[in-house]
Amino acid sequence: MKKSTRYPASLLIAAMLTLAAAAQTTTITGNIKNSGTRDAVPAVSVTVKGSSSGTFTNEKGDFRLITASPLPLTLIISSIGFETKEVPVSSASTPVQVDFVPASSLGTEVVVSASRVPQRILESPVSIERISAANIRNAPAASYYDVLANLKGVDITTSSLTFKTPSTRGFNGSGSTRVNQLVDGMDNQAPGLNFSVGGVVGLTELDVDNIELLPGASSALYGPGGMNGTILISSKNPFKYQGLSFQIKEGIMNTDSRFRSLSPYHNWSVRWAEKVSDKFAFKIGMEMVAAKDWLGYDKRNYSRTGTNGKIIVGDRETDPNYDGINTYGDETTIDIRSNVFPGIAGAAPFLKGFLDTLNGGRPMNVSRTGYKESDVVNQNTLNYKLSGALHYKLSPKTEAILAGHWGTGNTVYTGSERYSLKNLKIGQYKFEINNPNWLLRAYTTQEDAGESYNATVTTRLLNEAWKPSGGSNGWFAQYSQAYVGARLTGASDFNAQTIARATADDIVNKSTTGRPDPGTTRFNTYLNQVRGVPISKGGGLFLDKTNLYMVEGQANLSPVTKNVADIIVGANYKRYLLNSEGTLFADSTGKIGINEFGAYIQATRALFNDVVKLQLSGRYDKNQNFKGRFTPRATMVIKVAENNNLRFSYQSAYRFPSTQQQWINLNIGSNTRLIGGNKNFIDYYKLKTTPSYELSITTPTTVNTTAYTFPDSKPESVTTYEIGYKGLLGKNLLIDVYGYYGEYKDFLYRTLVIQPTGGNLNALVAGLASGVPASNFGNIFSVPANTTSKVKTYGFGLSIDYRLPLGFIISGNLSSDDLKDSGGFRAAFSTPKYRTNISFANNGFGTGKRLGFNLTYRWQDGFYYDGDFGNGDVPAVQTLDAQVSYKIPKSKCAVKVGGNNILNQYYINAIGNSMVGGLYYVAFSYNVF
Amino acid sequence: MNNINRIKNGGLAIISLLIFFTSCNKLNTEPTPLVIPGNPAGNTLAKVLAATASDSLYNRLLIKSGIAASTIADSTLRFTMFVPDNNAMKVFINGASGGAIPLNAPDAAFSAFISSTSPNYIPAATAANIVSYNIIPQSVTTASFPTAFPNLQYPTILNPAPTLSALLRLTTFLSKRSNGTWVNNVPLLSADAVATNGIIHHTAAIVLPPSASLWGRINIDPDMTYFKAAILRADSGTAVAPSTVGTLQGALDNIGANLTVFAPTDSSFRSILTGQITLALIAQGVPPANAQASAAALAATSAVFSNPALYSVLTPTNVKGIAVYHLLGTRAFTVNLPASQANYPTLLNSAIPTHPGVGLQSTFTGPVVSAATVKGAANATAANILLNPTPGTGSSDQNATNGVLHKINQVLLPQ
Repeated sequence: MKKSTRYPASLLIAAMLTLAAAAQTTTITGNIKNSGTRDAVPAVSVTVKGSSSGTFTNEKGDFRLITASPLPLTLIISSIGFETKEVPVSSASTPVQVDFVPASSLGTEVVVSASRVPQRILESPVSIERISAANIRNAPAASYYDVLANLKGVDITTSSLTFKTPSTRGFNGSGSTRVNQLVDGMDNQAPGLNFSVGGVVGLTELDVDNIELLPGASSALYGPGGMNGTILISSKNPFKYQGLSFQIKEGIMNTDSRFRSLSPYHNWSVRWAEKVSDKFAFKIGMEMVAAKDWLGYDKRNYSRTGTNGKIIVGDRETDPNYDGINTYGDETTIDIRSNVFPGIAGAAPFLKGFLDTLNGGRPMNVSRTGYKESDVVNQNTLNYKLSGALHYKLSPKTEAILAGHWGTGNTVYTGSERYSLKNLKIGQYKFEINNPNWLLRAYTTQEDAGESYNATVTTRLLNEAWKPSGGSNGWFAQYSQAYVGARLTGASDFNAQTIARATADDIVNKSTTGRPDPGTTRFNTYLNQVRGVPISKGGGLFLDKTNLYMVEGQANLSPVTKNVADIIVGANYKRYLLNSEGTLFADSTGKIGINEFGAYIQATRALFNDVVKLQLSGRYDKNQNFKGRFTPRATMVIKVAENNNLRFSYQSAYRFPSTQQQWINLNIGSNTRLIGGNKNFIDYYKLKTTPSYELSITTPTTVNTTAYTFPDSKPESVTTYEIGYKGLLGKNLLIDVYGYYGEYKDFLYRTLVIQPTGGNLNALVAGLASGVPASNFGNIFSVPANTTSKVKTYGFGLSIDYRLPLGFIISGNLSSDDLKDSGGFRAAFSTPKYRTNISFANNGFGTGKRLGFNLTYRWQDGFYYDGDFGNGDVPAVQTLDAQVSYKIPKSKCAVKVGGNNILNQYYINAIGNSMVGGLYYVAFSYNVF
Repeated sequence: MNNINRIKNGGLAIISLLIFFTSCNKLNTEPTPLVIPGNPAGNTLAKVLAATASDSLYNRLLIKSGIAASTIADSTLRFTMFVPDNNAMKVFINGASGGAIPLNAPDAAFSAFISSTSPNYIPAATAANIVSYNIIPQSVTTASFPTAFPNLQYPTILNPAPTLSALLRLTTFLSKRSNGTWVNNVPLLSADAVATNGIIHHTAAIVLPPSASLWGRINIDPDMTYFKAAILRADSGTAVAPSTVGTLQGALDNIGANLTVFAPTDSSFRSILTGQITLALIAQGVPPANAQASAAALAATSAVFSNPALYSVLTPTNVKGIAVYHLLGTRAFTVNLPASQANYPTLLNSAIPTHPGVGLQSTFTGPVVSAATVKGAANATAANILLNPTPGTGSSDQNATNGVLHKINQVLLPQ
C-alpha cells in the first residue's frame, strides 16, 4: 500500500471500529428463539421502548444492544411472522432469553412503495403485491424473478433463461419499456438498450429482502416509465442480516432432449454480511448461473411486410420464400421475377416471353437459406453477479450507504430481432444517505454491451460474407439462372426451386466453397468475422456504452406539518449519455446527452378518526427534448372494519420516448432503417424536403399519397381508475380484489414511411398494386409516432389466501386484463385475458417443523402476441412448480428439491422467444434467512 | 362408509386433476409444409405416344432421337409436345426421301426409312433436333395460347449452341384465333391430349427447327440482293462481322433477336429506285427520256447502293430509314396477321415513336391463309406477301432462328 493512502485508510477503519462514546451506557445481550421449534431467530429487530436505540439479532439469534437509557427498560422484539413482544429488562448482567411466538395471522406485512412511507399492506391505498425473503426461500422457482409470475395480474415474458420481463395490465413484451424496476432505489434499466436487467445484474438471490410490485400506472411516485407497473426490489441490510450464507443449486434442464440434449443447471450464491460495530456493517455477495439456455426454436414460416407480419404455412423445402421465426438469414428476400429475370431476358431475349409467363406473371419471392438460432446464437447462459455495500451510521437513524452491483454474462434478448447478449457488463454504483425523514441518493448505471450482436443481422451478413446476394454472379443470379435452366428442361416449379437452391447454395462443395454447414470452421470464421464488426461498419456487433447518472432527494416534512397533513417532497435529476459509436444511436460524431428533471409532492391526511385516509400526489417531469409533464395521483382508503379496507385511486403515468425511440439509427436490412423521433433525423435524411409517404401495415401494402408530416413525438400516458378491497376475515382468510379501467393516450408506436427513389410516387403506387415489395421503390424509415386515438383497457384481480390448521396455506388468484377499444390501432396488447395461480404450501410441519413444501399451478389463456419481432397466436400455458424442503436447524442447513414446469410441457409466452421446459434442481443452503 | 366415500371422492378429484395437468401445452414449433402436386407415374407422354397407332411414325423418330428417357419418359418433368400424326409424317418422309418413298407406300416403308442406320437417312442427331424442337418444357393447353398479336416466344428444349449459353433455346410461337390454332404457322389438328406429365397437340405437318438466321437467308437469296445491299448501306456501306452489335446486319444475324422481315423482291426495288432516280435526274435538268434510261441503268443491279455517285441521295440514314421500316420487333407468321387491316409499329418506331407503322392483314380460307398484305404509310396500295410457306425455299413464313421472313412485291415507304 502506498504511504499516501495508508494514513486515510487507517483513519477510516478506526472511525468505523470506534464505538459510540457515551458517558453512561448499558450493554444488554440476549438470545431469541422460536417458541415452537427452539431454533434461533435471526434478523429480529430489538429496540428500546421510548428510545432510538436498536439492533438486530445475528444468525445465531444473539443480540447485543448498547443504550443510553437507564435500567429498568423495556425491549420491543419484532419481526415479520412473529407476534411482537415487549420484554422488561432490569439487569444488564443476565442475558435476556426471549421465546418468540410465530404469528398466526395473515396480512401483517409492511410495504413501503405504495406511499413511500412504511404502512401495513392491508392499508395500502393502491394495489400492491409483496414477496418476502421467506416467500423466495419457500418458492419452487429456481430464480427469484420467477416468483413474480405467481402474483396476481403478472405476466412474465421469457426471452431466455436469465432474461425475463414481468409486466402487468397488458402490453407485455420482452424488455418492456413500460415497467420500471428499481433495485434499492436505482433504476435497473440498461440506459442504452432500454430493458431492465434485473435477471442479469440486479441483486443476488440471497440478498433480496423483499420485492414490492405496484401493478399498473405508478409514475406519480416513481417517475416516468411506470405505466404498466413498478417493481421495487430491496436488499438485505447488513446491520440486520448478518453472517455467511450460501446456497448451491444444481439442476438439470432439457431432460427430454426435445430441443437440445440434457444439460446441467448451476446456480451458486453466497452472501457475507458483518456488523463490524454498531456504526459500521458491510456485505458482499456473489451469484453464478451457468446453464444451457432454452432455445428459440420456432421453425414456423413467417410472412413479414415491414414490421408487420403473420405466421403462414410452408417450410424450407416447400416455400422458396420461407422465413422461419427462429431461423435467421432467410429474411433476405427478393422477387426474382422483377429483379433478376429482366437481366436474364436482356441477355437471352428469346426467353423473355417464357420468363413473363412463369408463375402466372405474379411475383416470385425467394429468400436466402437461413440458419437455426442455435447455429448463430451463443446458447450458453453464463451470469456472474457481484455486489457489495458499506453501511455507516452517522447517527442511530441516519445511515450512509456506498453500494455497487456489477454483473456480466451471456443471455438472449428479443427486441425487434433476437440479440445474443455476449459478455454484457452492467454496473450500478450508488451513494445514499437516508434517515426516516429524508433521503439523498446519487447513482450511476454503466453499461457495456460487450460483444453482443444482433442474430438476424449477423446471419444475413454471414450469408453475404460467404456469397453476396446481388451482382451478376450473386446468389440470386445463380439461383435464378439455375431455376430458369431447370424449368427449360421441363422441371416443375417446385423441382426447379429445389435445384436452384441447391445450385446457389452450392451444397456439393459445402466443405470447400459452398454454403458452410453450421459449426464448421469455415462457418465460424464467417460468423466471427461478421459479429466482430460494428453494425455501422457493416457487421452485426453493437457497441453500447451508454451511461445513466441520477441524483435524487426526498424529505418528509410531516414532523413540521403533521397538524395539517403528512407531506413528502422530492426531486431528481437524471442524465443519459448515449454512446454507441454510431452502431445503435446517431452518435457517430460524439456522445448524446439527454437530461431529465423531476419533482414531486405528496400530502396525506387522515379524517374521521383515521377511518378515511386521503392522499394527493403530484409529480412534474421535464425532459430536454419534450414538453414538461405533470402527473397527479389521488387515493382514498376507507377502513370499513378493523383489517378491512376499501381503496379508491386515480393514478396517471407516462413515459418519455425511450432513448432508442429518440436517437436510434439502425439499418435493419430490406432498405429499412429504424430512426428516432428526434427532429435532427428529418433534416439529415431530408425526409420533408424530399417528401416521404406513410405505408400501411395491411396486406397488400398500400401507401398514403399525402406526404407524411412527421409530427413531434410526445410522451405516451395512461390514466387509471381503480377500486379495491383488502381484508382479513377472521384470522385465516385474506382477500384482495381490485378492478380498474385505464385509458392510454398518445401511444408510441412505429410506422413505416418511404422516400420514393427520384420522388417517383406513381411507380411506387403501381408497384405495390402488383405485389412488388415497397423496398424496391425507395428507402424505408421506421419512425416513432403517437396514436391520435385512445386505447382503453380494463381488468380485475382477485386473490384469496386461506390458512389451514398446522401451517398449511392454500392460495389462489385470478386476474383478467382486456383491451376494450384499440382505437383502430394495432396496440400490441399481447396479454392473456385470464390467468390464474393456485398454490398449496406449508413452510414447516412434521417433527420440529422441519418439512416444507410448495405446489404451485399456473394457467394463462392463449392470446395474440403482437411484437416487433413477430406476431401470432400464443397458445394457453400451464405450468406446475413444486418443491419439498427439509431443514436441519442445528447446522442451519436446508435441502430443497424442486422443479419448475415439472410436467416439462414446453411453452412460449411471446412469438420468437425461447421454448421453456422443465428445470429440476436440488438446493443445499446454509444460513439462508 | 363416509370415509370410504371421502377417499373415493378424493381419489376421483386427484385423477381428474392429473388428467387436467397432463393435458399438454399446445406448443407448435414445426412449420406446415405446402402441398406440392405429386408426380404420378401412370401414362407419361412417352407411353401415350408408344400406345397410339396413328403416332407410330413419330414414335419411330422419337426412338431414333434417343432423348425420351431424359425428357418425356420422366414423370417428374412437364412438357407440351407437338406431334405430327402418321399422315403428316408421311408427307415429311416423302419430301426427305426426295420422293423415293411415295405417299402411298406401306407404313413399314416409312418406318424403315426412319429407323434405317445404313443408309442413315435421318441421323439420330437430326431426329433429336426435330423432336427437341417439338417439345416445350411446360404444360400449355390451347386455353392459354395467346389470342392476340404480338406473339409470345415459347422456348423449346432445343439448344442450338450449348457452348454459347446453357440457357439458349430455339423458340416456337403458339397462337389461337377464330380460324384455328397454330404452332408457328402449322395448324393443330387436335389439341390437349393429356398425359401424366404433359400435353400432346397433334399438328398438320411436322414442325421443323429453323437452321439459319434471317441474315443467313437474306445473304444468299438471289431475289433479295437489293435488300441485302440496302442493309449493308444502312450499316454505312461496309460489311461487318456477323452479329456486330448495333448494326442491322448484326441484328438480323443475332440468335437472340426476334423479328419479322418483309423482304421486297429485287424487281420491286428496281422499279422504285428507277422511278426515284428518274425524278431526281429530271429535277437536275436531264431530259425525261435520258433520265429514264440512265436511271434504269443505275438501278439495274444492287450495286446501286454502293454507287458513290448516288451517295448523296442514298445516304445511310435514308436507306436505314427504309430498311428498318421493313422489320417488326416481334415474330408474325401470316396466320398471326389480323383479318382486317390494322397498323403495327416497325423498328422505325424506335426512332420515330409516333410513326403509324405498317398496315397488316391476312385473308383466311378455313385455317389457311389465302392472301396477306402489308401496307406502307406512303404506298398507294398494299404490298402482297408472296405466299409459299415451304420451309427453307418458300417465300412466306420462312422461320429462321431469330425471326420470320416474308417476301413482298413492293418496297414499303414510310413517308
